[in-house]
Amino acid sequence: MINCILIWTGKLISFMISSFNLGTGATWPGHIALRINPLFIKQMISKSKLKIIIITGTNGKTTTASMLTHILYQNGYKVIQNSSGANLLNGIASTLIMSASIFGNLKGDYGIFEIDENVIPKALMQMNPDFLILLNLFRDQLDRYGEIWSIADRWNTAIKKLSDKTRVILNADDPQIAYLGITCQKQTAYFGLNEKHNHIEGEQYAADSLYCPPCGQKLDYHIQYFSHLGDYSCKVCGFKRPLLKIDQCFYPLVGAYNKYNTLAATSAALEMGLTESLIDKAIQSFTPVFGRQEVIDISGKRVQLFLAKNPTSFNESYETIKKLGANLLCISLNDRVHDAIDVSWIWDVDFEQITQFRHISLTGDRLYDMALRLKYEDCTDLTMYPNPRDAIDEALLNLNDEETLFILPTYTAMLDIREILTKKRIL
Amino acid sequence: MDKMLKWIPQLRRKKGSYSLTIGWLYPDLMGTYGDRGNVLVLQKRCIWRNIRTEIVPITQETKASKLANLDLIFGGGAQDREQELVEKDLNRNKASAIRSLIERGAPALFVCGATQLMGMYYEPSEGKKIEGLGIFKIKTIHADANKKRLIGNIAVEVLHPEDIKGERVIGFENHGGRTFLEDGGLPFARVISGFGNNGEDATEGVIFNNAIGTYLHGPLLPKNPKIADNLIKKALELKYQKPISLEPLDDTLANLAKDAIVKRLKLN
Repeated sequence: MINCILIWTGKLISFMISSFNLGTGATWPGHIALRINPLFIKQMISKSKLKIIIITGTNGKTTTASMLTHILYQNGYKVIQNSSGANLLNGIASTLIMSASIFGNLKGDYGIFEIDENVIPKALMQMNPDFLILLNLFRDQLDRYGEIWSIADRWNTAIKKLSDKTRVILNADDPQIAYLGITCQKQTAYFGLNEKHNHIEGEQYAADSLYCPPCGQKLDYHIQYFSHLGDYSCKVCGFKRPLLKIDQCFYPLVGAYNKYNTLAATSAALEMGLTESLIDKAIQSFTPVFGRQEVIDISGKRVQLFLAKNPTSFNESYETIKKLGANLLCISLNDRVHDAIDVSWIWDVDFEQITQFRHISLTGDRLYDMALRLKYEDCTDLTMYPNPRDAIDEALLNLNDEETLFILPTYTAMLDIREILTKKRIL
Repeated sequence: MDKMLKWIPQLRRKKGSYSLTIGWLYPDLMGTYGDRGNVLVLQKRCIWRNIRTEIVPITQETKASKLANLDLIFGGGAQDREQELVEKDLNRNKASAIRSLIERGAPALFVCGATQLMGMYYEPSEGKKIEGLGIFKIKTIHADANKKRLIGNIAVEVLHPEDIKGERVIGFENHGGRTFLEDGGLPFARVISGFGNNGEDATEGVIFNNAIGTYLHGPLLPKNPKIADNLIKKALELKYQKPISLEPLDDTLANLAKDAIVKRLKLN
């Protein structure tokens, strides 16, 4: 009964927040519900028939979750999914409130939740997922989380406590993730890439876990796709990439990182019992989610957003737009709470060939830091706009027909720019 | 190892009368947090002035004898696990070479984890005490893993070295360990806003001879080019045994980036 009241109150709060245009009200109802009943999520989930899928990792959560939702939806299932900005416990609780009926029931077949990497131990105490998808661990937001080794340890402890029904779907190409699969004592399925071309040449700088998880020696990479993802083995202890259950599928988005996201979603759908052909057919109609390669049309001019929130995601987005022949680039750098309040990481980005763009504009709260970074790449032909609106207006003026303006924003910068572009409030 | 340096564009190495060899401690292990930006800044500020530079990565495989040729040393932050590997290799193979370089006045910049290792000892929250090289008269204690990390933008005012005393420096700090100066230890700076060594005594960093130890990431040198130039100048003076004055460079962007933080910290 208490949960019913929480749901009514939550729906009311959310309604008020959105009708008075105070934001979308994504997390407040859940925040309040959890304050009053800390077991809200656990109780709601356990009395529902939802099969639960939890997705975590530094990069790719939103895209993977949306792909999986799309696959299931196309195949006639009803899915509840949290939005990317709501990936802490209060966001999950809010999603449940908004999806529940007024009698407090959750109707649907699957609940797909992307969850912030640091919240996983707490989330797994509330929900025993049927499927757990572990994507990757890159250095990100050290300020909040400490180090990637310790995150992996905490995940491991939490996963071991889950019941045997949980199937873990893991990225075999990330040594740290693969090692979790070996130690977590659950049913596992590994995905990864087997491509002879497409690897990076030399060592990309933003690589963090090139060291063997069990023994600490430097790993030998037979092939490295990006950062520390690849096919590896350790000559000291014998640890190596596990056997892949799936290494290819149809890829609806460009970029190596999106191959991993698609493999993760496809792999999960296979584990759920869908056939390869049904999955392939569904995924062909997948369109990008906001800010992740999303194309926005502004009165006939084409703008494409590539979220670039940490060194790995920046490097990969940057590589991808170069391959797409980008000429006009706009970078927006913020350092707000959801950007991890720090911009040191831009010095870990590999800005090769930055001087070859026809026009580069910079904006965001820390635009001068980005300008300074590019100056040390001998790139000084920049236009700087403290106001993102000006940056976009000017960049659009510079845009010829058939050209695309490529924007690389950090997370909150992406929200700002999207708001400007769509003239619609989303946060 | 050359691959590790791929990110440094192999630019026009103009002919110049001066040259510097810069040693970079464990770029593969101590590479967190953009600290490599410091190396890029040192290198570029030399190249822009026609000073030839060579960057020498010092790794576990590097022979100690190679360290004797260095004119300047840089070491950055690391994650705990990597820091352990570094500590073993340093103490086993390279401690005396680094110590003698610093003792004869070679300029150096150590950030975060590297500073801790150059101190007397580091007491982690778990596991046993790690002996440092004892170059800096400091000790670092990480008493409790759950104790708040010291995180955020930081502004300090330089106390030593004398020639840049009073310079306002901006950075970003993020450390769990608390560092305390021991007898004879001189602080690098005084904290204006932020935590510094331990969040208690308003000291930041430590110096010994021409070596600076600090907690400031950001990275430190891009927004604080005076420190970079001071290191370069001292390295040249030591190598060529004569007073050097460096050609000034345009630092407008550095000042704009710095001012943005100064404003935010309400220091104006």
